[in-house]
Amino acid sequence: MEASPPPLRNVGPTQGSDEGLGLLGALLEEWRNLTRLGAFILITLATAARRHRDNSQVMRPQVLGEIHRCGVRLLPIVGFLGVILGVVFVGQTVSLMEQFGAGPFTGTLIVTVFLREMAPMIAGLLVLARVGTASVVELGTARALGEVEALEVLGIDPIHYLVVPRVVGFAAAVMSLSAYLVLISLVSGYAFAYARGLKASPIEFFTQIAGAMSLLDFPLWVFKTLLFGALTGWVICYQGLARPMTLEEVGPATTRTVAVCVVGCLMLDALFITVYLIL
Amino acid sequence: MGIVRPTSTDGVSLQSVDWTVATGELWVLAGVQGAGKTALLETLAGLIPAAAGEVRVFGRRVDASGDDDAGLRETRRRLGLVFDGRGRLFSALSVAENILLPWCYHQNRSHAEALAELEPLIRHLQLESLLSRMPASLSRSWSRRVALARCLVLKPDLLLLDNPLAGLDAVHLRWWRGFLTEALAGHPLLGGDPLAIVASADAVRPYGGLDPRFALVAGGHWRILSDIEAVLAATGEEGFRDPTEPRP
Repeated sequence: MEASPPPLRNVGPTQGSDEGLGLLGALLEEWRNLTRLGAFILITLATAARRHRDNSQVMRPQVLGEIHRCGVRLLPIVGFLGVILGVVFVGQTVSLMEQFGAGPFTGTLIVTVFLREMAPMIAGLLVLARVGTASVVELGTARALGEVEALEVLGIDPIHYLVVPRVVGFAAAVMSLSAYLVLISLVSGYAFAYARGLKASPIEFFTQIAGAMSLLDFPLWVFKTLLFGALTGWVICYQGLARPMTLEEVGPATTRTVAVCVVGCLMLDALFITVYLIL
Repeated sequence: MGIVRPTSTDGVSLQSVDWTVATGELWVLAGVQGAGKTALLETLAGLIPAAAGEVRVFGRRVDASGDDDAGLRETRRRLGLVFDGRGRLFSALSVAENILLPWCYHQNRSHAEALAELEPLIRHLQLESLLSRMPASLSRSWSRRVALARCLVLKPDLLLLDNPLAGLDAVHLRWWRGFLTEALAGHPLLGGDPLAIVASADAVRPYGGLDPRFALVAGGHWRILSDIEAVLAATGEEGFRDPTEPRP
């Protein structure tokens, strides 16, 4: 009787098995990897839904630890980036629009370009660069050294213990950091524009920005930033854990993770633009 | 516990294993490195799916994922595997966290509660002075003992040890032999009941005097041998080698 392998061995990324088939083979391989990533995401969601109350004494510190690592520890750099972005992008845009007499459209421009698109993308990339790459190395090394099998033998579900906290941590971190980035950038941008001769008061400036937003913007923005973070977490765990790995493969897995996350988030962004256009 | 005979030799490192381990028994799986001892233990633990046939521990299949994950986890909880070498400790966790994690996870208790509850066992394993250290700073012998502690906190009924006595100095060897004796007899800190223990070995002499039962893993085949002399005769006095090769 054929035995079924455990899920972690079933869904890992593969490389180069269709050598010789050229572009078609490469596309086929990417499609397979995409379906496996999809399967991995579904397994994670099912585990999170089924076991969200289990083992809370261990899992709660794990989740809080990931939120701290991905979010709280990045607050200083997000603050710094927020000030710079505020001056470079928001402040200059507001000043220029004012000079060209297009002041009434400033709110729409900032909401469309900065709030909806740039801030979530920058926060996502920052979390990926500062924490994501380290996480792939950490998970890949644990996989290569057989620590994941050790977890399985001890009856600890690796998806539950390793993947779910990371996905939750990354999602919460990208959402919160995007919000902080937006707030800090708007404040510093207004300060810069005011110093350059903007006549609007802070209340007028922020009222104009709020007026350019629709009610749907809030839930969509939260959903989008959560999805950016969760996708980053999924890709990181998938590349680091989902297939047997040697120590030599940890480096390539890390660079592949960065590429997949950037492409994945841009594709999600394009999807959201379509949603915004429809709505 | 039985491993029902694999039917194909394609990619199969070991075939025709049909075996039952009883409580209070110590089995030593003898064989050269690469003979398939580790693969057999990992198959028993449900980490490697059997090429054919089925693996049952406590009457339940350990190699099938799917419908009854909770049942599978419970079966795995009753089965402890100590890996070869440094025991595959979790490198990002301290020694204390390594030991307490499985107990905290399954009992849903905090680290402090686990430490209070498991302190006697940790002291019995002489690990109390190592609790704050990281696994990378431990010697191989102590790492292996921490890996044993990590298994024992779940009070397993069946203990699988992958080459536990390899490369130990006299002090550690004496300690492990003492541990095996008390675990086979039943120790209050290990739940009180005698354990069933399966240990792989590439040298069987350190098991002399422990009255184990022997099985030989060689050339892709498995056979039960009567005593240590039979193992030594089958593998050569000077150490183990593939018995299918002609003797010099």
